[in-house]
Amino acid sequence: MSAVEVLFVLLGVVAVGSALLVVTTGRLVHSALWLVVTLGALAGCYLLLAAEFVAWVQVLIYVGAVVVLLLFALMLTRAPTGPQLGETTGNRALAAVVAAAVAIVLVTTVVAGFGGVRISLDDALLGSAGSTGEAIFRFWVLPFEVLSVLLLAALVGAIALSRPVRHRSGGEGD
Amino acid sequence: MPLLFPLVLSALLFAIGTYAVLARRNAVLVLMGVELMLNAVNLNLVAFDAYLRDVVHSGQVLTLFVIAVAAAEIGLGLAIVLAVFRSYGHIDADRLRALADSDAVDEQIAAEQTVGTEETAGGPVPADAAGGR
Amino acid sequence: MSPLWAVALPLLGACGVLLVPRRWARELSAAAGVVTWLAGLVVAVPQLGAAQGEAVTYATLATGAVPITLTLAVDGLAALMVLLATSVALAVLVYSVAYLREDPRYPTYAFLVLVFTAAMTTVVLADDFFVLLVGWEVMGACSYFLIGHFWERSDARAGAVKAFVMTRLGDIGLLFGIFVFGVAVGSFRISAANDAADAGDLSTTTATVAMLLVLCGVVGKSAQFPLHTWLPDAMPGPTPISALIHAATMVAAGVYLVARLLPVLDLSSVASSVLAVVAAISMLLAALFALGQDDLKRVFAWSTVSQLAYMFGALAVGGYAAGIFHLMSHGAFKALLFLCAGAVAHAVGSTSMSAMGGLWSRLPVTAATMGIGLLALAGLPPVVGFFSKDAVLGVVVDAALHGGSVTDWLLLISSAGTVLVTAAYALRAWLMVCFGTPSAAVADVEAAAHEPPWLMRGPLVVLAAVTLFGGLVLLSPQVLVDPSDPDTEFLHPEIAVTATLGVLVVIGLVYAGWRRSGRRDPAGLMPTRLREFCAREAGFDEAYDNAFARPTRRMADGVVANDRDVVEPYVRGSAFAARGMGAVLRLAQNGNVQVYLSAAVVGAVLVVVAVAAVAGVVGS
Repeated sequence: MSAVEVLFVLLGVVAVGSALLVVTTGRLVHSALWLVVTLGALAGCYLLLAAEFVAWVQVLIYVGAVVVLLLFALMLTRAPTGPQLGETTGNRALAAVVAAAVAIVLVTTVVAGFGGVRISLDDALLGSAGSTGEAIFRFWVLPFEVLSVLLLAALVGAIALSRPVRHRSGGEGD
Repeated sequence: MPLLFPLVLSALLFAIGTYAVLARRNAVLVLMGVELMLNAVNLNLVAFDAYLRDVVHSGQVLTLFVIAVAAAEIGLGLAIVLAVFRSYGHIDADRLRALADSDAVDEQIAAEQTVGTEETAGGPVPADAAGGR
Repeated sequence: MSPLWAVALPLLGACGVLLVPRRWARELSAAAGVVTWLAGLVVAVPQLGAAQGEAVTYATLATGAVPITLTLAVDGLAALMVLLATSVALAVLVYSVAYLREDPRYPTYAFLVLVFTAAMTTVVLADDFFVLLVGWEVMGACSYFLIGHFWERSDARAGAVKAFVMTRLGDIGLLFGIFVFGVAVGSFRISAANDAADAGDLSTTTATVAMLLVLCGVVGKSAQFPLHTWLPDAMPGPTPISALIHAATMVAAGVYLVARLLPVLDLSSVASSVLAVVAAISMLLAALFALGQDDLKRVFAWSTVSQLAYMFGALAVGGYAAGIFHLMSHGAFKALLFLCAGAVAHAVGSTSMSAMGGLWSRLPVTAATMGIGLLALAGLPPVVGFFSKDAVLGVVVDAALHGGSVTDWLLLISSAGTVLVTAAYALRAWLMVCFGTPSAAVADVEAAAHEPPWLMRGPLVVLAAVTLFGGLVLLSPQVLVDPSDPDTEFLHPEIAVTATLGVLVVIGLVYAGWRRSGRRDPAGLMPTRLREFCAREAGFDEAYDNAFARPTRRMADGVVANDRDVVEPYVRGSAFAARGMGAVLRLAQNGNVQVYLSAAVVGAVLVVVAVAAVAGVVGS
């Protein structure tokens, strides 16, 4: 086993472990923090798979923006900070079964399909900023533009949803 | 590296994300589960990009797009969560049952219709049915 | 003149009465009555005494088997009936102008009377069974509407329905009798049926079956036993209607039909015997019932039943001329009696005989004309009733004495008894209404009583004159005589003397009884059981109610209960089941998003597994 593989396995264990903690811990803020660990481990996995620009963007956007957003949401919704025993619903038995079923099905499919295949990382094309940028603006420029419109729509929608409800008779809120 | 490593990792993360979506009470935690699922997908894309040595880097580019879409989605999702919090005073997924189909909900809708359209500003309106199930 | 005019003119008058402004309705109806009467004269008088009238066919309706022809024919019998019907209709219409002066429903009333007259002329002029049936049924319908003219009264409504239902019951038999005639003779023409009977083309069985079925309709229409209970209950109708329909014309239509089909009746001794028995029972029973009634109109109603039975008795033994003569004379004097009852009711305000008495002094003309009518009813000389009764008795005695069967003797005994009882109730009525001292309460009412206006008195006087001098028709009897039997004797001196003596004895007894009862009610001296029997009309109404009305109502209740308790729950149950199923399915929609998602994911997983399995199976 090469160093890359070992490193990958380690990062994988960290990611799965912290993901499990994300979904089982009773403290809400801890859950968000464990999510940071998971996302960071995944960024490391990307690096190992010769996708450095993606790793960088992962850290920037996910860890930097999305998790912050989640923390803000927890704050604005007055999430309790102490240990919460009731943070999973009565649905968890079924959810566990379903998740296990999903895992089994996916793993089986994957193993059956790509059982002995190896990635040759030596010949892998490095996903540097330059090559990724070139790929985007040469072959993926239209989806890129559409994505920007999507982001605009999301922005407008988020603002609209955040406005407080107006009175019929006029009054508070704007 | 065997292709199986990233793929199995991705599958496990996806399953864990599913569990979070289905089992967690707080809506924000549900959204975290969704993020986990999306990340699993991203890992899958990157792994195949490396395996197939795609010239146009379609795997990695799609990963970037997925990240952007996930960001947009979580922005909107959290806006909705905040709106729900404003209306109901909580964001427990299993207590938000206003769209249920039951006699209690029917009576409540009928009562609201007779009362008329009175909108309250800001304050929570406890309009959900009792928890359970 | 085409006989259709006698039918069309009253119909035109009827429509006119409905279309003109209300204030001219009365005058127009009286004018229509005059015009109808004149048309009847023109149509009928030339054909009096004629053997066969010329038949005029207006249309033929192809039925696929035996065709129906719209044919009218005027012969001697039809002519007499037309005269009777139109004359009484005229008298009634004139009388009604005054009698129903205040009635807001006068236009409908006059319309119905005129339509009825048209229907009656259709019946008597018809030469096709179905034309006759149409007129027959229209008369029944008009009778229903006219009995229920004062529909605010529950007894009027009930009486109308009862009359309609009972006559309709009989009409079922009549319809099937017509079918038998049509099939046997090959034509629905009445003259064809009679010709077939005369020529011997009709077998005895066919004639029996046909006549028995026709007799069902006749028994219903003419209120004979066992369908006799509807006629007295039809009395809540306006009195002129009782005079027109239930004395002179509609009930006489049954007699007319039997007279018309006499050649067929003669072929069947069974049918003749049945008719004789029915007549015998009806005449005596009805006369006894009349003796026990307090309501003047009911007395006259039962009297009508009894006198109609008389006519049927005559016809049953083949006495055509006697039957027709009595029909005509009864039409005149019974109409007179009913119109007198109307005048008395107009004066006193009720038709109950115990609420009358001593009206001779206050209503002399009415009392006198009523006396003449009752004289005719009792059959004393010199009025026409004496001659017609004598003719009937003669025929009946003749039949019994010359090889008569059991039924003929029964008829004779019954007729003799009826003569005596008739005299009894006639005198009782006259005494109770016109003489004696009324009680104090009644006297107060009578103090205000006065003679009816001349529009009412006029018809009374005219009819009284006809009754008084009607016997003169015997000077030229060919009018009444069956042309195939021109030597009919109308006067039988021994029978006349015997009958008159019997009647006088009864009159004496009744008068004495009246004096004994303190000038109130001679029937009070009858033995109680007999009195009750007569007053209760032998309980026929209760018996029919128990036998037919109650079970039908119970069946109807059962059907309603069945619908409500058996069928309805199934309907409601299916709705309930649908709701229940919906409620069960609804449990899955509990509003919990995570449950929905779980279900979706489980479904997806199952689909993947299934696809893999199928692909695996297919691939291997």
